[in-house]
Amino acid sequence: MSLLSKLKEAAVCLKAGRVTLPYPAQAQPVPPKFRGRPIFDAAKCIGCAGCANNCPAREILVFDVCQEVRILKYLGRRCTYCGRCADVCPEDAITMSHEFENATNSIGDIQQKLDLFMSTCQRCGRCFKEPSPLEQLKLKGYRFDDLANEQWIFRSQAYLTEEAAVDDVKIELD
Amino acid sequence: MIAREKLNELRAKFGPAIQRADLPSDGRLFVFIEPSVVKDVCAHIFRDLDARYVISIGADDRPSSGKFMVAHNFAFDREHLLASVLTYLPAENPKLDSISDVVPAANWAEREIRDLVGIEPVGHRYLKRLVLPDGWPDGLHPLRKDFAWNQVPEGFDEDREFKFDEPPEGCTVVPFGPFHPTLDEPAHFRLYVEGEMVRGCEYRGFMVHRGIEKLAELVLTYNEIPLMAERICGICGCVHNVTYAQAVENAIALRPPPRAEYIRTIMLEIERLHSHLLWVGLACHIVGFDTLFMQSFRIREPVMWIAEKITGNRKTYALCVIGGVRWDIAPEMKAELRAVLDKLEAEWTPVVAAVLKDKNIQKRTRDVGVADRRLVKEMGLIGPVARAAGADMDCRRDHPYAAYDRVEFDVITADGADVWSRVVVRAKEVFESIKIIRQCLEKMEPGPLQAEIRDELPVGRLGMSSVEAPRGESHHFVITGENNRPRRWRVRAPTYQNLQGVPAMIKDQQLADMTISLGSIDPCFSCTDRLETIDLRTKAVKVWSQEELRILTRRAKT
Repeated sequence: MSLLSKLKEAAVCLKAGRVTLPYPAQAQPVPPKFRGRPIFDAAKCIGCAGCANNCPAREILVFDVCQEVRILKYLGRRCTYCGRCADVCPEDAITMSHEFENATNSIGDIQQKLDLFMSTCQRCGRCFKEPSPLEQLKLKGYRFDDLANEQWIFRSQAYLTEEAAVDDVKIELD
Repeated sequence: MIAREKLNELRAKFGPAIQRADLPSDGRLFVFIEPSVVKDVCAHIFRDLDARYVISIGADDRPSSGKFMVAHNFAFDREHLLASVLTYLPAENPKLDSISDVVPAANWAEREIRDLVGIEPVGHRYLKRLVLPDGWPDGLHPLRKDFAWNQVPEGFDEDREFKFDEPPEGCTVVPFGPFHPTLDEPAHFRLYVEGEMVRGCEYRGFMVHRGIEKLAELVLTYNEIPLMAERICGICGCVHNVTYAQAVENAIALRPPPRAEYIRTIMLEIERLHSHLLWVGLACHIVGFDTLFMQSFRIREPVMWIAEKITGNRKTYALCVIGGVRWDIAPEMKAELRAVLDKLEAEWTPVVAAVLKDKNIQKRTRDVGVADRRLVKEMGLIGPVARAAGADMDCRRDHPYAAYDRVEFDVITADGADVWSRVVVRAKEVFESIKIIRQCLEKMEPGPLQAEIRDELPVGRLGMSSVEAPRGESHHFVITGENNRPRRWRVRAPTYQNLQGVPAMIKDQQLADMTISLGSIDPCFSCTDRLETIDLRTKAVKVWSQEELRILTRRAKT
């Protein structure tokens, strides 16, 4: 007879009581190490592009407008919040925040675009401290990811061409 | 040296056909042989030496050696040895004798190699398309190196229909899936039904391929792959993450620091805890016993929370990189983890005690979905399905990895070979996992989390790793390559083998038992289907053409 089992099972349920949490009316705090949406700090970023080179989802684009200005864009579409960008960043400019309610109708809400002043940087990649040869910068020099179509492009070059410059800045080529 | 013994045995029998052998470590054996003897060697290993079939791998090696390569992997579970039989084939018109006559479990793997790499298995009895979508043009093989990762093939024929087999006489066809309430992911079974009895079926799956192996070979780099690998599966993601890392470490003979090994073990067991609790709940849900479904999900929740505290996420722990782990377990976290385990044990014990005596569940699951020892051997079934049939195998003990050689635990087996036995095995394994985590917390010592890697990884090395996932053995095979990424990475998820046993499991039983029989292997189609280079979500539904669907929706509105 299975009645005893049924009574035991009922006891398990009764003992448990109500366990449903009052989310979203009252959200539980997330643990300290929680990996939410990455936040990029333009003040700390030196534009080494280490994050862009080591992003498994290829969600960080780099585009050099001219010698002095580098654009770094975080796309936020298929980002998996793995936190590798924050791992490899030599300046701790990327924080994995505690934000997880990121559903949006407009992806622009969670995208970030950093306009970085690069001074006379020659993009040699020396400022990126790689944890091991497995993370080394594959793309050095000037980079031209496709910002319009939001695509990572495996291409870079040592010098800028004149066409790539914005109108008001004169680029000097070696 | 068991690897040496096995090699000598093979040498004694096949002598000159063995071109060379590689014994990188005691648990691994790579034998390179002539193509002409592959079938005989595999038959000898599978039948006479009684090895378990693991998987076959096809690779396009033309850029480096100018040839194609095929590897058949076997496991000697009792002798703690993983063996790979490799052979090279000419670049023009590659073909190889099929081994699926002597090793029935190789059926899918050979069809997959034919689809993706274009190596013809000569003598295969059922050469239907397995992986590629129906409309994919013939003669194009996406895993060949001259096929770009983002190439969209010309001549894709949307209207080409998949030719299903004729049902046996007197049987009616009942389609099951691609979308069915008990399938969490798409797969199509065409059931041949006579009255209420299922007499056979045909399977058409691989509808959610994501081309992850191709990406790994051409786009991602060594340390990016683990974070993608764990997205192969939503339940046993950490397993794929660890298996990949271990396969590469095996290839380059790198040992992660002891603390990293303990942390891997702990996280794998935490994953097993959550997976077993989830599956027992789901299995009960399928047979209509929602009380236990609710309770096991309630008991499971603290496991998810502790995983989130340790790694930063409930699932997708992002744990491994090559040579170590990323997250540490702090001393205060140890205490918290112990508390979670104590509570889990206290709550799971009465549930198991009640369920194991519950006649209602037993009536619904006993002698249902039977996979006996013979089927386990022939189809290479693994994990709880095999253990429920009395096959005493567990990679944690048989092919120890991470810190499993330093902990003590029992391998739970049962002898019913049915769904009920699988419930019993998985319900009891929860306690073993708790035991393992406790020992790890006890034995773990402070130390570094990652091994130092100073040089780029060597090229052309072979590595393999088997990890006991909650559903069975997950096996990865890696050939290291240039440009900071592997040349070939093959993922064999447990469902890949277990699913091939389903047709035999559902044969000659009630149609109503189909759902729980299939559910009992804990199918994970996304794991199994991990390969495709084109996204065809809507087009893959072949029963309705787009036009027909449009007509149907219009009709539904009025």
